[in-house]
Amino acid sequence: MKLQDFKVIFIVVGLIGVLLIASPAFADIILAGAIPPPPSGEPFSELYLLGPTHVAASYPYNVAGGQNYLVYVGVGDHVGSSAYYMLYVKFRNGTDALPNATLGTPSPLVPLYEYKFALQDGAYWESLLSFSVTNASISGKQSMVSQLTINGLRFNVDKPSVWDPSAPSFSYSLVFELWLFNASSNAFQYNNRYVSLLLNLTSTA
Amino acid sequence: MLVLALGSCFVGLQVAFAQTNSTVVNNGLQTANSAVEAAFNAVSAAEKAGANVTNLLAQLNNAALLLAQAEIANRTGDYNTAVARADSALLAAQPVTSSAQTAQQTAAASSQNAFRSTIAYTIIAAVVFVTVLFTVWRWVKTRYMKNVLEAKPEVPG
Repeated sequence: MKLQDFKVIFIVVGLIGVLLIASPAFADIILAGAIPPPPSGEPFSELYLLGPTHVAASYPYNVAGGQNYLVYVGVGDHVGSSAYYMLYVKFRNGTDALPNATLGTPSPLVPLYEYKFALQDGAYWESLLSFSVTNASISGKQSMVSQLTINGLRFNVDKPSVWDPSAPSFSYSLVFELWLFNASSNAFQYNNRYVSLLLNLTSTA
Repeated sequence: MLVLALGSCFVGLQVAFAQTNSTVVNNGLQTANSAVEAAFNAVSAAEKAGANVTNLLAQLNNAALLLAQAEIANRTGDYNTAVARADSALLAAQPVTSSAQTAQQTAAASSQNAFRSTIAYTIIAAVVFVTVLFTVWRWVKTRYMKNVLEAKPEVPG
């Protein structure tokens, strides 16, 4: 082996060694944000609804007046950082507008109940929600829910519904809408996530 | 006539009282909302600076829960509860903001110190490594040259 070959080996070893020694500093620079880290997947928020047995089954559907019904509602944060959420609970009949998934707009209905909470990335929030129809009437092919109780609080709703022979039901639903706080606009924005619990009013008492 | 006049006064007072109530509640809710949002922004900044925000978020969630209860009470027309809960939310949110700001400053200082230490250790380690490598290179070069100079030429045949 010639002296020139030894020189090349020493230069290569020197460069590799210096790079290895400096690698923790490079990692720090990347973590400090000087070089943005590669994206670790699409950020999203998860909204789910479970039945009273804490599984995705046995959801309340046939609802009688005065009876109490339970559902679990939960949210998972996968946006890559802590997030501040607001969850609206709305009550609609068969003709009220649902949120528009294409336009990303919420339902125009006034919220009845709401939750506010902050979550760390990867964390989940869950709450048991109880509801009952406390004041309702059925007359022929017309029904009217005047009052709904959510978690022990009464709300005047005054929602009529016409008998739908195709279902067949007096169709109502509880709509859960997820809103996310946007720090740049300093306001909550609809996150284009909702779940709807279909209900059929069977009797008034 | 007098009864009518008194009645209209009473109705007027009731309307004025309801408007005052509504204004007080709305102002209280707006202030509480701003305080909780400011607290969240402070916690978020602390998290970005590298602080552990688990406890701060738990405290923030207490404030957010009170705020949601205030909003719901306002919708059901229970204005006294709405004002009381909004005030409680405000009181719960304010310490979160100050704690989060402190946590952010501590985390930023700590990460800056760690970064400086890493850079300093990297420079020292690189200088030592290059010096050792250069010394070895000098030794290898000297031995090579010595071997070349001491080598005796072989004449074939």
